[in-house]
Amino acid sequence: MMKRSFYTVAVATVCMAALGSVAARADLLDDVMKARKVRIATDLAIPPSGMVDGNMKPTGSDVETAQLLAKDWGLELEFVQTTGATRIPNVQTNKADIIISTLSVTPERAKVIDFTKAYAALQSVVGCLKSLEVKNWEDLKGKTIAVSRGTTQDTELTNMKDRNLTLARFDDDATMVTAALSGQADCVATSATIVNQIGVKNAARAFEPKVVIRNFDLAIGLRKGEPRLTEKLNEWITTNLKNGKLNEIYKKFHGSELPADMRG
Amino acid sequence: MNLNLDFAAILERWPVFLDGALLTLELAFIATVLGALIGALGAIGRRSSHPLIARICGIYVESIRNTPLLVQIFLVYFGLASLGMKFSAFTVAAAALTINVGAYTTEIMRAGFDSIPRGQIEAAEGLALSRPQIYWHVVLWPAIEKVYPALTSQFVLLMLASSVTSQISAEELTAVANYVQSDTYRAFETYILVAIAYVFLSLIMRAGFWLLGLVLFPRRRRLGTPL
Repeated sequence: MMKRSFYTVAVATVCMAALGSVAARADLLDDVMKARKVRIATDLAIPPSGMVDGNMKPTGSDVETAQLLAKDWGLELEFVQTTGATRIPNVQTNKADIIISTLSVTPERAKVIDFTKAYAALQSVVGCLKSLEVKNWEDLKGKTIAVSRGTTQDTELTNMKDRNLTLARFDDDATMVTAALSGQADCVATSATIVNQIGVKNAARAFEPKVVIRNFDLAIGLRKGEPRLTEKLNEWITTNLKNGKLNEIYKKFHGSELPADMRG
Repeated sequence: MNLNLDFAAILERWPVFLDGALLTLELAFIATVLGALIGALGAIGRRSSHPLIARICGIYVESIRNTPLLVQIFLVYFGLASLGMKFSAFTVAAAALTINVGAYTTEIMRAGFDSIPRGQIEAAEGLALSRPQIYWHVVLWPAIEKVYPALTSQFVLLMLASSVTSQISAEELTAVANYVQSDTYRAFETYILVAIAYVFLSLIMRAGFWLLGLVLFPRRRRLGTPL
């Protein structure tokens, strides 16, 4: 057991060293421009960010973001299908140039890849029936908030002991949404995307995000040590946040706008 | 295999486990008392000479005994809410468990009633007891005494089955365990502890039923033998 893990580490170290030397030799931006093609890793199984439509064509907010980038830079676009767990290995092993796949910025990830600035956000919110007058945490007192057990929302709200929140914990998102649809709960704590989808399923009980728990920045990921490409991507993100194109894409698929400080 | 168990992280959360265990017992208590009542009435109804009453009781028993408890719980919880009637998860859990155990108890009690020999009833008639007297002294109590072990099992099973009410956010013992394990990532330890806790709850219930049996059935108290 010990022995095997030692070999794994050894092999991984050699691979990393090899990768590092490749990265040092070539500049990714030049490679991409020369190939006239950008390879983007996107998970197509996480609607509404990445999915496949009725004609088996990729669609979703991350897909349209990737398409916008390729169009602006005049490049051909190749989607590298990935899952959540293989997003980062895809760029580390040069199977893809960049990741656009609801990749939230965390310190652990920043150790192995580089991030651009945020192009979108994952909003963790408390959403309530549209008709409810809820503006802040104070207004949520005495209301039952449905939440999926063990999610980040559950942990964060449970820790807010002094806010006197009433939580109803369900075992998964599906049961939580059913509780909201059937009227067992008038508030839910989850992502803004799911809150907006409740109204799509039952217009009579439309929910909207009321109180923000936390925003997770979503950024484009790329392998370490590519400052020129990172810089160019940052410029592109700034431009498209300013002209509203990224916000438009986000709103089209997630039902709400990006946080105001991002749009600025 | 290298198994690394750490119970300390789980044990320090004993207050929430205690709350969960108390709620489980509370659910079991309410459902047992009300379920026994429904069971007695249901069994009498099922043996009624009035065909409509017998039929209604039969439909109740068969529809409950042939559907899963979880589906019944969802029906009550989400169904009532869709009709505009909103009850807390605890109320719904207690109600659904009562409805469920009531049906099983009806069947067990009916078996008890069927086991009373006709001769015993005729003897009571011969002694000029009234109909209510016969039902109370000669049919009901001997019937309950005969099926008492089966009833005990059924109510202990009900307490264990209350674990599925965690699905509708009732914060009983299993719900607490689900939460703690998702927070500590110590799933194996959590469920080992919870399994032990359920064994204790079962023993508590069995001891309770044994004591209750001594109170309810004088012959058991005096002779020490079951009927």
